[in-house]
Amino acid sequence: MIKRGVSLYSYQQNEFFHTMTWKDELKEVANNLRGADGIEIISECTIPHYPMPPESFFFEWNNEIARWGLTPTTMDTYMDTLQFRDHVLTDAECAERLKYDIRLAKKMGFRNMRLCHNVPLKAVEIALPLAEELDIRLTNEVHAPSPIKPKRGVDWGETVARDIAFIQRTGTKHYGLQPDMGIFQNKPCRVMLAYALRAGLSKDDSFKAADEVLVKYDEIGEDREAFFAWGKEAYPDLFASRYASFMFRGASADPLDLYDIIPYIYCIHGKFYEMTEIPGKPGQYEDKSIMYPEVIGILADCGYDGYIDSEYEGQRSQQDMGYEGLPNEVEEVRRHHEMLSRLIAEADHKNKSKQ
Amino acid sequence: MFDSFLVRSDSLENVYDASGKAVGFKFGVRLSNYRGIYVSLVNDFYVCMDGEEFSTEDYCLELNGMPPRTMEELIKYPFEHWDLQDEAMLYVKKEGGLAPGMHSLDYLPSTMDAYGYQAHDDEWVVNPPKPGKGGGKQMRPCHFDLELQ
Repeated sequence: MIKRGVSLYSYQQNEFFHTMTWKDELKEVANNLRGADGIEIISECTIPHYPMPPESFFFEWNNEIARWGLTPTTMDTYMDTLQFRDHVLTDAECAERLKYDIRLAKKMGFRNMRLCHNVPLKAVEIALPLAEELDIRLTNEVHAPSPIKPKRGVDWGETVARDIAFIQRTGTKHYGLQPDMGIFQNKPCRVMLAYALRAGLSKDDSFKAADEVLVKYDEIGEDREAFFAWGKEAYPDLFASRYASFMFRGASADPLDLYDIIPYIYCIHGKFYEMTEIPGKPGQYEDKSIMYPEVIGILADCGYDGYIDSEYEGQRSQQDMGYEGLPNEVEEVRRHHEMLSRLIAEADHKNKSKQ
Repeated sequence: MFDSFLVRSDSLENVYDASGKAVGFKFGVRLSNYRGIYVSLVNDFYVCMDGEEFSTEDYCLELNGMPPRTMEELIKYPFEHWDLQDEAMLYVKKEGGLAPGMHSLDYLPSTMDAYGYQAHDDEWVVNPPKPGKGGGKQMRPCHFDLELQ
């Protein structure tokens, strides 16, 4: 069965305002998320004084993980290519950074380490023997606008194919994929739309306008030209802005394409922006912009038994309205797990009745 | 990201030299990202106070218990980290400092944290971007009304 976890990325706003520490976040996941037990972190955010935390941190981390019965899933890492400012990181330097992070991930009990996009396979290959020795699986994130099936002319359009060729050539079991649910976002999200619209509108008007754009998006359907023609007339600033190109681009990948890559998926980022109550179903929630029901159905059908780790990202678009406008990350993640646990149970039930 | 909260509202102060002369002002700033950054990746700031724009040479940043460092000095600390949870003080040179009362600030930080290799990497070694022209999560300046006591 599909397992559920949380990336502490979801609580970044609480970290910023010092309203939760990583210990509070572990306690929240363990106690309030219907049995979720996976913990993913952003290395630099959770590890104090990264890259050189005090030794006591590792003791505390492993202690708290054991205390709450949690499972460290993935440590997310970055690659700052201009760290030295006087030159671009060489492949050898890049590999050294990977190796350093692999050792950190091992000390914290993680199963996977997520690399970020655009880390060269030459560097990965240098670090791979250490990953194999320490049994840390490296994952490349499949993040929008990356498709699953190769697509020319799109950023990262052929990364998945490149990665699978690498896995097949090396025969490694320690390099794989980490799809981000954002690739299955088939509708613009309301909070991001409203943020973009606030460049010219008040808070209330921005949400009203966002709702109007979404209604129009549904009405016009597939005819993107007609939609843009309407938008340039109704909201010229928004449709001329840099936001328009990615907000209205549609899904990067078809959920059915997951069938091609299931054996290579080590973890999934449960990206979401806003959980709203489903009309007529009190206590049940959905993110209207992302195809969760379809994706979870397919994952269950394939027998995927890895983790989906919540990755709440809607807060970022609501931090320009003062304290009163801030969303509640804890509540959003709880709603997300209402949805995940319900969809997973339904898919599991459906599978069993097929057998 | 964190638009309304990038500058602490009660942090504006004048800066004085040893003889007691006001030589500038300072205010508390936070990172506009979700992970923190290496100190070397702090690139530049856009600061427009009461309509007066300042530039790279006017800035020093005080963080991690170190004395204020110029933008040029910060580049030399590729292993020191500015944690997401921490505030830094941004010093801005201005002879005579600011008068007591309300001041209007437009502020936009530029940092070079990255998601791996990018087409602009080589260019940015030689010509780092100006604030708002790439570099960091925040693209438009944020406005703050600050009171100097």
